[in-house]
Amino acid sequence: MNARIVIVIPVYNEATVIGEVLAEIRKTGNFSIIVVDDGSRDDSFVQASARGALALRHRINRGKGAAVKTGIMAANLLEPDIVVTMDGDGQHDPADLSVLVQPILDGIADVVLGSRTLNRHEMPKTKVVANFFGNFFTWLLYGIWVSDSQSGFRAYSKYAALIIDTKADKYEYDSKVIREIKTNRLKYAEVPVRTRYTEYSQGKGQKQGLVNGLITLFRMIWNMLT
Amino acid sequence: MIEKIHLYQVVVVAISSVMLFQGIKEFVKRESGQTILKLLVRLIVWGGMAVIAIYPNISYKFSKIVGIEDNITAVIVTGFVFVFLIIFKLLSAIEKLEQNVSELTRRDSLREAHERIEQLRQDIVSEDRSRQDRS
Repeated sequence: MNARIVIVIPVYNEATVIGEVLAEIRKTGNFSIIVVDDGSRDDSFVQASARGALALRHRINRGKGAAVKTGIMAANLLEPDIVVTMDGDGQHDPADLSVLVQPILDGIADVVLGSRTLNRHEMPKTKVVANFFGNFFTWLLYGIWVSDSQSGFRAYSKYAALIIDTKADKYEYDSKVIREIKTNRLKYAEVPVRTRYTEYSQGKGQKQGLVNGLITLFRMIWNMLT
Repeated sequence: MIEKIHLYQVVVVAISSVMLFQGIKEFVKRESGQTILKLLVRLIVWGGMAVIAIYPNISYKFSKIVGIEDNITAVIVTGFVFVFLIIFKLLSAIEKLEQNVSELTRRDSLREAHERIEQLRQDIVSEDRSRQDRS
């Protein structure tokens, strides 16, 4: 792959796994990696810096969306061909990176959405149901039906990384990107990605649970009204 | 037909007009985050309030359907509208503050990492050059 690819990883208290995640990514190719520590209370920032990533730090926790946006803005300064976002808890398999960026390299998409539901048999049933509701409300509010509106494993062309702009700070960021795809008439594609539902990634409190899902839905509706 | 204009009608229509004007202006100017659906929601919510204020008889039909025809309802509804407006305004202000805090946090982190970002950019450029030279 000759394209200049920058990987953005938002992290919040992921010090125990971020080193392993970075090492795994390095094995798959020569990428520039930006880790955005979103006000962690542990030493995620130190761990990421020590393993050769360009680590940025939010002084206070602002949410996944805010961290991703910071990372993409930093990535844009590196003049990349493609920007990839992935989670910092190791649930995304770096082996899927080549599949994820291929539609952009082929010129058939500006945004590629890694879809966990296209490999649905690997997904816990509660996640399948929650994801359906996420997809439904994303479609209802923003007008595009996608198979996994909440996936954080995505690839953006240089143009898309520059043009997509949302003020969403929390988990609604992922849905807002879908809105941006429609508003800016970007070409998009969905590719199946594997997800590793480990005890660690399932046990984290700040992940999208029922309550967080309802808060995200409220934020999406609220933003429609204001 | 409007027989007599009451103060609440003027107030509600004035507030609704401002909200509708802002919504239409933002949509026409294509400001960030403005969509046709958002405009429609504004038209329905604020337009609906204005229509009910101008033609209150519509609310009688509604109250018959709902089944509340007591006079006290008017007082409760008026209070509810005021509370709704205050909450609406407060939540909007909080939302704006949250966005500003995020923006400041972002600028701070990018400024702190500015030199390292520039260093990485130069490393990437020189790596690209040496790769091109090799090929």
